[in-house]
Amino acid sequence: MSATRADVEQTVRSFLERAQKPVDALTADTPLYADGIGLDSLETAELSAVLEDTYGTDPFQSDTMPQTVGNILSFYDSVANSAAAGA
Amino acid sequence: MIELLRAAAAADADGAAVVTDERTTGYRELLASAEAIAVGLHERGVRRAALLDHDATTVLAVLAAGSLTGTEICQYPPTDDAGEIAALAERFDHDVVITRRTDLDGGPAVLTPEDLHSPGPAPETPPEQRPLLVLTTGTTGAPRGARHDWNRVLRAAGRIRPGTGQRWLLAYGLHQFAGLQILVHVMAARATLVAPAPRRPREGLAAMRAHGVTHASATPTYWRFLLAELRADGGPVPRLRQITLGGEAIPAPVLDALAATFPDASISQVYAASEFGSSSSMRDGRSGLSLDVLERGDDADIAMKIVDGELWVRSRVGMLGYYGEEPLDADGWRPTGDLVEVVGDRILFRGRTSEVINVGGVKVHPLPVEERVGAVAGVDMARVYGRPNALTGAIVALEVVAAPDTDTEQLAAAIRAACADLPPAARPRSIRFVDSVAMAGNKIVRRADA
Repeated sequence: MSATRADVEQTVRSFLERAQKPVDALTADTPLYADGIGLDSLETAELSAVLEDTYGTDPFQSDTMPQTVGNILSFYDSVANSAAAGA
Repeated sequence: MIELLRAAAAADADGAAVVTDERTTGYRELLASAEAIAVGLHERGVRRAALLDHDATTVLAVLAAGSLTGTEICQYPPTDDAGEIAALAERFDHDVVITRRTDLDGGPAVLTPEDLHSPGPAPETPPEQRPLLVLTTGTTGAPRGARHDWNRVLRAAGRIRPGTGQRWLLAYGLHQFAGLQILVHVMAARATLVAPAPRRPREGLAAMRAHGVTHASATPTYWRFLLAELRADGGPVPRLRQITLGGEAIPAPVLDALAATFPDASISQVYAASEFGSSSSMRDGRSGLSLDVLERGDDADIAMKIVDGELWVRSRVGMLGYYGEEPLDADGWRPTGDLVEVVGDRILFRGRTSEVINVGGVKVHPLPVEERVGAVAGVDMARVYGRPNALTGAIVALEVVAAPDTDTEQLAAAIRAACADLPPAARPRSIRFVDSVAMAGNKIVRRADA
C-alpha cells in the first residue's frame, strides 16, 4: 500500500489522541519518547502494531529506531520510493 | 465398552442407543453389529487398526468390537486429505484402516465395517489387556497418540446411574477423548446418544429441537456459539435438563448466560483431558474447582495438587503413555499444563503454560483478559493471544467477533475502557474485528503461532 505523508501523520495523530497524548504542538521534530510525546515502551509497541496493521510495514522493525514523528514519515517515504523504483 | 452394550441390551434390547439424522439404532442391533465386527477382527487377526468414519453408530460398534477382541482402535480426525491420512498411518504404524472411503490407494489396507461383519459366536470375555489409542486434538501442538486401556477408561463407568430416557447430544468429535467419554457415559447410563453431523453448534441446536435432547455436554466455546445461534434465530429454546461444560477454562459469564437461558437445567463443569481422564464435576454454577479437590486422598481415581502455580494430577483412569515414546509411570503425578490460582475457596484457571504471553519480561495470562473483554456488551466472542513485537517481544492482541449491527469503533473504545485498570502489559494493544476466531476441536486457540 502506498501511503502519503498526510495519511501516516493522521494515523499517528489518531493513535496519540486515543492514547491521550499531546498532539496540538506536534511537528516532524517532536521526539516520540520521554521529553516529547512521552510514549513508553508499551505505547510504542502499540503504535508499531497500528502502523503495521494500516500500512503493512512498521518502522520500529527497521534497523534504525524512529526517534521523532518525522522519522516515521521518512520511513514510509523511503518505502514508497523503493516501491516506485521497483515498479 | 462391549460390557456396557451387553448390559444395556440385556436391560432394554429395543431401547434407542444412537439417533442420527438418518436413522435410529437400538441396543440389540448395535450389540449384534459390534459382536459381528469382533468376530471379523478376530478371524482376520487384526491387532491394531485406524478408524475413519463420521457415523456415530459405526464408530460405537467398532470401538466396542475392539474392546472385546483387544484390537487397538485409533480414530483419525475427520479429513478430506488422503495425504494427511497416509501421514497419520505412517506415524502411528497402522497397516489397516477401517473406513468406507474408496480414495485411499497405495497406503494401508482398507477394510469397510461391512467387510468385518462375520457370523459366528463372538468371544465371551475380552483379553486382559485392551488397548485404545486416542489422538490428542492438537491445541497443544502436533497430534500425539495417548495410549489408553479400556479397563482404565471404564473404571468409573460402574458408578454411572442408569438414565433411561435421557437423550444426550454428541457435541464433540468421536475421535476426541471427550467424545469417547460421552459414549462411555451414555452407554453406561443405557441412555440415547443423539449424534448430528457435522458436530457444530448450529447442527447441535437443530438436533436438540428435532430429537428432544435432554442432556448436553460441550466446550464453553461451543455453548457460546449455541447461545448466539439461539439469539439469532429466535426459535424455541430446547428443554434441557442437564448442561455440562468442559475441555477448556469456563468463564463465569458463560455459566450465567446458560443459567438464564435454560432455567430448568442443572449445570455442571468437568475437568478432563485425554491424558488423565475426567474428574471433578462441579455443580454449584461457579467458575473453577472447589479447593477440596486437593484433599481426595490416595483412593481417588484422580488426585490433584498445585506445584508452582500449575495443576498436577495423579490418575488411575488416565493414559499409559504416548505412542512411540517412553512409557510413563501410569499412576504417577504429572503436570497438566493448566495454570491455576487459589482465590478464596476456589481454584481458578488462568490459562495454559503454553499460552502465557511474555510482554517485555512480564508474564500475562490470556484468560483473565479474555474474560474481561467477553463481558463487554457487543462482544460475541474474544480471543487473546501474543502478537510478536519488535520492541517488547510480544504484545497482548485481541480478536473480537462483534455482535451483529455493532459500531466497532465504539466497541473498541468500550473494550479499552474495560481493560484500563489492568496492568499496562496486560492491556490489549492490538484489537482486530473478525468474523470468527481460531479454533481447534471447538476450543479457542491462544498460542501466538495460531
